[in-house]
Amino acid sequence: MAETEKGKEKPIIQVKNLYKIYRVGESKVYALNGVDFSLNKGEFCAVVGPSGSGKSTLLNMMAGLEKPTKGEIIIAGTHIEKMTESQLVTFRRQNVGFIFQSYNLIKTLNAVENVALPLSFRGVGKKERTEKAKQYLKLVGLEKQMDRMANEMSGGQQQRVGIARALAVNPRIIFADEPTGNLDSKTTKEVLKLMRRIVREQNQTLIMVTHDNYLAGFADKQIHIVDGKVMKIEEQNHDDEEEL
Amino acid sequence: MRFLDLLVMSVNNLRRRKLRTALTVLGVVIGTASIVVMMSLGIGMSEMQMELMESYGSMTAINVYSDMYSTQNSSKEPAHLTDETIEAIRRMDHVEGVSPLLNVNVILKQGQYVASYVSLVGVNQDYMKQITVGEGTYPVMDGSEVQLLVGNWVIQNFSNGKQNSSYYETGELPPVDLMNDPLYIIYDVDGYYTSMNGGNGDGTPVKPPKKYLVPVAGIVEGGIEDANQYSWSVYTDLEALKKQLKQVFKKNPIPGQPTNKKGKPYNYFIYNNAVVYVDDIDNVKAVQEAITDMGFQANSNSEWMEQSKKQSQMIQMVLGGIGAVSLFVAAIGIANTMMMSIYERTKEIGVMKVLGCDMGNIRNMFLIESGFIGLLGGVIGLILSYGISYLINHFPVAASMMGGMEGDISRIPLWLSGSALGFAVVVGMVAGFLPAIRAMKLSPLAAIRNE
Repeated sequence: MAETEKGKEKPIIQVKNLYKIYRVGESKVYALNGVDFSLNKGEFCAVVGPSGSGKSTLLNMMAGLEKPTKGEIIIAGTHIEKMTESQLVTFRRQNVGFIFQSYNLIKTLNAVENVALPLSFRGVGKKERTEKAKQYLKLVGLEKQMDRMANEMSGGQQQRVGIARALAVNPRIIFADEPTGNLDSKTTKEVLKLMRRIVREQNQTLIMVTHDNYLAGFADKQIHIVDGKVMKIEEQNHDDEEEL
Repeated sequence: MRFLDLLVMSVNNLRRRKLRTALTVLGVVIGTASIVVMMSLGIGMSEMQMELMESYGSMTAINVYSDMYSTQNSSKEPAHLTDETIEAIRRMDHVEGVSPLLNVNVILKQGQYVASYVSLVGVNQDYMKQITVGEGTYPVMDGSEVQLLVGNWVIQNFSNGKQNSSYYETGELPPVDLMNDPLYIIYDVDGYYTSMNGGNGDGTPVKPPKKYLVPVAGIVEGGIEDANQYSWSVYTDLEALKKQLKQVFKKNPIPGQPTNKKGKPYNYFIYNNAVVYVDDIDNVKAVQEAITDMGFQANSNSEWMEQSKKQSQMIQMVLGGIGAVSLFVAAIGIANTMMMSIYERTKEIGVMKVLGCDMGNIRNMFLIESGFIGLLGGVIGLILSYGISYLINHFPVAASMMGGMEGDISRIPLWLSGSALGFAVVVGMVAGFLPAIRAMKLSPLAAIRNE
């Protein structure tokens, strides 16, 4: 509880003056060109921008998958921009959940095992992690598909497993990279609804990258990025189960 | 990550690609089996050689001879093996026992059956206790009476004088019961033959020499098939034999005893040779040198053994090397399989890294996989080796190749199977090491981008 209160006082993510510069031959390409923003705990934030705007780069850097050229990223009070790769892995294991566009489930494992996988990285015993995995699979509405192998499920179901996997470790932040990119519009709505509901219920912080303004509309906060710069930050309040 | 989870994950990964795993394992199986079988042949050969040598005589025994040839033409008296020399040798360090051998040829007679030129050897307690008695007991060793311990092959020498009656012609043992029927001994062999041939040249008959009833205390252990170094002679107490010989020949020269320059016998016994027992095989060489310095010839099995040890070590190394080549090829196979596996699983590894799987865990997962291939190949290879070894040992062709030597030619001692298994696992892990490092260093970002 103390953590929750602390999180409200202090932003969980602070990004300060972030640059990412790629060298292509002689010329420099600014993928990110001085980005500043902060997020509070429990927020559902969408990073919106056209392709090539640097939104995925931003997400990857916040998740510690890519190193910034310049600038600071402070997550839950920790600077991650200077961490070594193995420190970053540890950081992700303890703080981050990840939802991928192409689900990225392990094909040879069934739904429960997939959800339990990140828990096994933490050294959680088999019984405990299976129990937890089942609990989160129920939460995303997959009680009946628990024993299915990953490739025996539809895209929507697979993404639900992906969401359960991200939630199961009870992370501080969940990153989602175009989570509905491979889904049809009906499933997209369902998945987004689910994500928002769970974020609210569990008081999680979710950062979603999308190129679709309509999808970004589901979020509490929209960060618009164009050419590596934050164009505008919109905040809006949604009542539960409205207009979906 | 818990080790058990890691293990389960690795094994599951291997099971995903059953055929490829099986083929890689097969490589290790062949590699392991070839090393083990080759080494087992080398070990079997050298052990058989050792056993052969041991059957010729104890490894810690030194045979001592008086050096007749080098002193023959010199004016010096040759160094004779006398009781004094024996005592001098007994006082040396590391000498556990020493026995002179007083060797005389005698004739043994039971009923119609005669064994001529049987070697009767007078020995002391040190020597006698080396012999294993089969039937009966040891002769008394207190100098009171000549009792015989008969070699288990001596019975073959008996024949009744007729054609086709000896063991060598018929292959049947003569009906001689050494233990229960009375046995006579004739010490004066020359006299016996002179009388048998009807006289000493000029036709006058000669009285046959006296024969003595002699008790047989026991027979050396072993049947008619098992030869050992005690099979051909008859053994008795040295002191009793000396007394008996003096009594039989009185003032006449005792056959087999050397004479001095004037052709006169010495007034003490001179032994043909002696056997020295050393406490440890490592001290044999030193004692042997000391005896040589006294002016005697000495030899032991240790020189021979050392040489053949070196030789068989070399053979083992060559054989093991041939086997190692195939295991090396198998190691390349493992490395290849692991590399393939990494390319296939690049994305999966990336996802795992994004989800926070420790880098060390990823490396260990691949090491366990390759180690497991090694272990599996090692175990199956070992089973195969035992099978091949059994076939080699029970195939008549292979047995005849060794010139009819007894025993298994392929032997797999426990240390060999243990180290082969360990070696297979280590080879697997070493082969998997580079691929594992590569998997560990895969960039998670590049891996998950790979759509």
